[in-house]
Amino acid sequence: MIARWRTALIACVACFGLGLAAHGAQEAAEARPASTATVTNAPATTATNATPERNEPWSEHALELAGRLPLQDGGRVKPLSTYASFTLLRLSGKRSLASTSGVTLDATAWLLDVFFQPRRAEREPLFLVQDSDAIEAIGLSIEGKKKRDRWSHAELAPGVPKLIALAHQYDAIEPKLRTSLQQQVVTLAENVFAFESLRGAFDWARADLPVAGERVRAVFGGAASVSFSNALARAPELARLHTELTSSADPAAGADLEALYALERAADATARASQGLRYLPPAVAASAREEWFTPWSLLSDAFGAGAVDPRHVRALEGWERVARGGGDAEAGFVTAEAASAELAHARGEDEKLALELAYYRWSPIGWSHALFGLAFLAAALLWIRPTSSALHRAAFVLVAAATTALVAAIALRCAIRGRPPVSTLYETVLFVTATGALVALALELMNRRRIAVSAAAVLGLVGLFVATGYETLDKQDTMPSLVAVLDTNFWLATHVTAITIGYAAGMLAALLASLYLLARVLRVRRNDPVFFRELARMVYGVTCFGAIFAIVGTILGGIWANESWGRFWGWDPKENGALLIVIWQVAMLHARLAGWLREYGLCIAAAFGGTVIAFSWWGVNLLGVGLHSYGFTSGIQAALWSYYVAQWALCLAAGAVLWRARALARAAR
Amino acid sequence: MKRARRGVAPTSSSAEASARVDRMDEHVEASAGAASSAPSTRQNPVRAACGAFLTIASSTGTSCVLLLLLGLLTWLGTLAQVELGLYEAQKRYFESFALVERVGPVPIPLPGGALVMGLLAVNLVVGGLARLRRGWATAGVLVAHSGILLLLASGFVKTWWAEDGHVTLFEGQSAAHFESWQRWEIAITAPQSDGSVRELVVPEEQFRFATGDAPARLASPELPFQVEVGHVLANAEPAPAGTAPGTPAVDGVVLRALPRETTAERNLAGAHVALIDPSSGARHAGLLWAAEREPLRVEFAGRTWSIALRHERYPLPFTLRLEDFRKEDHPGTAMPRSFESDVTIVEAGASRPLTISMNQPLRSGGLVVYQASWGPSNARPDSKLFSTFAVVRNPSDA
Repeated sequence: MIARWRTALIACVACFGLGLAAHGAQEAAEARPASTATVTNAPATTATNATPERNEPWSEHALELAGRLPLQDGGRVKPLSTYASFTLLRLSGKRSLASTSGVTLDATAWLLDVFFQPRRAEREPLFLVQDSDAIEAIGLSIEGKKKRDRWSHAELAPGVPKLIALAHQYDAIEPKLRTSLQQQVVTLAENVFAFESLRGAFDWARADLPVAGERVRAVFGGAASVSFSNALARAPELARLHTELTSSADPAAGADLEALYALERAADATARASQGLRYLPPAVAASAREEWFTPWSLLSDAFGAGAVDPRHVRALEGWERVARGGGDAEAGFVTAEAASAELAHARGEDEKLALELAYYRWSPIGWSHALFGLAFLAAALLWIRPTSSALHRAAFVLVAAATTALVAAIALRCAIRGRPPVSTLYETVLFVTATGALVALALELMNRRRIAVSAAAVLGLVGLFVATGYETLDKQDTMPSLVAVLDTNFWLATHVTAITIGYAAGMLAALLASLYLLARVLRVRRNDPVFFRELARMVYGVTCFGAIFAIVGTILGGIWANESWGRFWGWDPKENGALLIVIWQVAMLHARLAGWLREYGLCIAAAFGGTVIAFSWWGVNLLGVGLHSYGFTSGIQAALWSYYVAQWALCLAAGAVLWRARALARAAR
Repeated sequence: MKRARRGVAPTSSSAEASARVDRMDEHVEASAGAASSAPSTRQNPVRAACGAFLTIASSTGTSCVLLLLLGLLTWLGTLAQVELGLYEAQKRYFESFALVERVGPVPIPLPGGALVMGLLAVNLVVGGLARLRRGWATAGVLVAHSGILLLLASGFVKTWWAEDGHVTLFEGQSAAHFESWQRWEIAITAPQSDGSVRELVVPEEQFRFATGDAPARLASPELPFQVEVGHVLANAEPAPAGTAPGTPAVDGVVLRALPRETTAERNLAGAHVALIDPSSGARHAGLLWAAEREPLRVEFAGRTWSIALRHERYPLPFTLRLEDFRKEDHPGTAMPRSFESDVTIVEAGASRPLTISMNQPLRSGGLVVYQASWGPSNARPDSKLFSTFAVVRNPSDA
């Protein structure tokens, strides 16, 4: 009977592990550039529009050059590939796009399509719609589509006016009070809007600006139309002409001035959509001008200053070559990338680009995830064959490798951001996973009971699953600029790190305790009291370790608050969350001293403690303002409650078993 | 302007508060004293009782129960902030001695945070310090327990004796006082015969609970009249007479009660006042409202008196002038990277310039002045900005 139970349990656990491992492997595969497999066989679709637009797949070299193009976004300089990746994730919920032609586009290839082959990009199934009700709400037919499906811009286009009207109406409702449908409509409208801005971002590079007026034409050697880069190159002459014309008494000057303004308006009209994309580094030092240029701000700056840097002209010429199609797109990328890289280098803003490219190219997180998956498999087999030393060694080596990859990922992130390891919620997940796995490995080295190594595998697998899930839900760059109050590396390094180690130890203790309770409830290893004693000892040790860090971290937080705001404690939700962890762990240790908790009781308390940490770590963030994307919070809310309920159910079941065993023992006496 | 900070008439609530403080101090001392006298014989019932008390007061079981209660209060107090806001939740759960929590229709009495933390301090002193075996093995525990005790003590001092508030200044403005975020006071300005002005201040405790049926009467030898305060509303707005039944109208206007704001500092209190001539009994009625620009002016005994309801003010030991406020964003975003205020401190005739920024507050004269907020949020590049500094006088952080 028991054997059957155990087999069933292990089968379940193994299936779960396989699923997570497969997910991790998929992540790793997705994270690597798919450019090698890209669009080589894509059939050329015919362009119906008259605008000259290229229509062919991007060469690997072009993707490489475009991917490492520096761009200033969200307050920092990052490679275009990072920008493309998170933009695609936001619109489609994935980092790659399964195109209609059957090939998979990586994010950079997709973004280049949007920029330079917009007609083609419009037909790709891009926009993730969670529930087709949102499509019906904007008056479109959902025939032939699944309830949760991806829609192309071309498919949505007839419904866009209604979409915008509805989104406008729903946007007035406070995000917390919106229904799921209303939120989806708002999100879809935002995404369509974002796509349409990107689609027009290189309109300027395809445009021919009309030149009228004798003296204006003379600047361009008599040409009737010029490219944007050409207008930029002549900006100093145009500025001089403008001064001359405005101060001239000649009646013909009025017409020339009007022609000059017309040129300016035309340039403005074509470059307006590029407002958000700052990919042109200023030619001056960062201390003189921090904000990078868009093509339009570059032109108006050159016009105002009466000077232009030849590298800027070269960059724009390069993009025009790409945009206008023909065979020399690649040469265009080379020119544009070289000019931008040179400018960024002169400002010292390209130092971290190579690191960031390497971070996403080699995807240490994806590798770590996959390795934790394999380690989990080994650990599951180890549960079936507890005496196999080969399996034990395999599990240990895999966990160690996975942890090393994760630590490397965290170290790379620190180097890229110039920050201590934890400054965002996403980074807490990585750090908790790494710390928990390291502590578990240390435990395994100390007692070689084959328990801690399995716990490390579970923790690593689940931790990275949560990290990936969070990233997918949040859809924001995971290396953002920090708000003013967090701009202090000293407190981030001390308070935040200590608290996060406290989280990690508490979660590991909860996991080990849950293993203990699960084994008790399922009556596994009933005749092995040493197993239980060792497990409970580990729970106690890890809890003490965690309590020290939680206390120190909380007090350091108080000191930070006192230094900065003149009060040690303010009963703020996040402060209270940290206090709850401290209180729970300290109460556990005192209850053990008082003799109220022994092996079993301590494990029930530690397993419950996991939910206290989860509340403090995630729960308080969902209480109030700050994080208010509906899909985001509802996704996390559901995961959080599943964890609460699972832990509580386990505690209750274990409590019931304990109570029954005591009652039986009393009756026997 | 001469200024006197004093209550106009004594009331019971502040006296009660200090009595509570005294009693709690005695409690701590008594138990600490008991700890030093070793319990031994069982014949003496007093000694036996002391011994029993000591056993309970010092046990780890007691710590455990108290910690769990504090944990429960912390959890409830955190969740309650969604509905009540920080200020109210803090008063209800953490600064109280007892409260009643409703779980659905069932009322559950709970000890308040102040009581639990007080008892925890006793438990710490008796069990965690006095009765703990001393040696290298317990050194860490002793240090940790002393640290927690210090935290509880400083928290206690902060809660009862700290003043906190803010100064909000436009560029070029200066101030010599700061005002509370939440607490109110009524200020009565009395013109003196020598031409100077004297300000009498009535703290919130003396009128907070005054209603139409039970108004608060304020009197002072310096005033030729009594002030009757009634219909005090925590958050109110003026409205035409007749729109709020039960509240008296003055010149066709009444104050209508509004629900309390979750952010307590957004509340705008209001009250109905009447100046009463003690000899004739004649009344002169008026309305006080916190958002009123001008104080209520009343002619009495040939002089003009002004009365205002405003946030409680505390003097600064220096004059603070805002020279320039700067907000810097991360490049190309609307995400703030830093806030900085250049200020001048004028103290005892000497002035010194300095910069207050996020994580870099000014500490001077027992005060901490830090960058808290700024505005207006829709300011144009050339318009004047204001900067809000939060000010805390915390005796436990001297």
